[in-house]
Amino acid sequence: MSLIPWRNKKEDGGAGQLTPLGEFRGEMNRLFESFLRDGFNFGERATGLPSLLSNWGPAVDVEETDKQIRVRAEIPGVKAEDLEISIRGDALVIAGEKKGSEERSEGGYYYQERRFGSFRREVTLPTAVDPDDVRAEYANGILTVELKKSLEALPKKIAVKAT
Amino acid sequence: MSTVNVHQKAHGQTEEARAERTRGGQAYRPHVDILESKDELILVADMPGVKHDNIDINFEEHVLTIQGRVEPRYGEGVNFLLYEYGVGDFYRTFRLSEEIDSTKIHAEHANGVLTVYLPKSEKTKPRKIAVTASA
Repeated sequence: MSLIPWRNKKEDGGAGQLTPLGEFRGEMNRLFESFLRDGFNFGERATGLPSLLSNWGPAVDVEETDKQIRVRAEIPGVKAEDLEISIRGDALVIAGEKKGSEERSEGGYYYQERRFGSFRREVTLPTAVDPDDVRAEYANGILTVELKKSLEALPKKIAVKAT
Repeated sequence: MSTVNVHQKAHGQTEEARAERTRGGQAYRPHVDILESKDELILVADMPGVKHDNIDINFEEHVLTIQGRVEPRYGEGVNFLLYEYGVGDFYRTFRLSEEIDSTKIHAEHANGVLTVYLPKSEKTKPRKIAVTASA
């Protein structure tokens, strides 16, 4: 289901004529609105590309505690074995493929809102982590990755001597 | 009666929840696919974070309601570096025509995806009528 955004005539510079300034203002308004709506999630709607072409990535939460970093991603409808998780430099890379439901369809779609295709998301980690101590779990469509901070990244207390 | 705004994740569309809900707070409208096969309609909804036991499907007066309760995932005092998705229940209603045999609706749930099968009723299925030749 694709809806064409209704545009105010005023944005077009009035009387349906596109003046360069009116066009620019309209474009800025749209960008601003899409930012208010979607934030930094520059997905299909913001780029105008169909989901198969745009390399979409799942939404993530990153939490930091003293000793570890936990990354959670909403990836419904993927098999655990189809998820690929790796650490590259200072980034955690989550990649995989979500299969569409078209193979079950014989008469076409009424609604198609879910995204599918291959996805990839790189999350920059705030500190160095131990690449050998990473735990990943996938349950009910949520991927949870727990990374331990490396020893060098842990805070160290420095004693101050009174002289 | 508590009214709840239903948000579609990452889309910002809202709709007012029609039925009364026992839990307040924010609810999200799940993304769905609806497909048609020869014998049934198949509704596929993305509901990440919902446990099997927390799904509630209701059919009443031609309205199919799907609800998924999401347990809060976060404790106190967590330092978030990124917070991209909201955590809340899922809620969405669909109006079904009489061509659906409501007694045969069934559903399954796997990997955060709910699939509801809505079989077409016998009377709407195309039927071949055999012609007997009479001499």
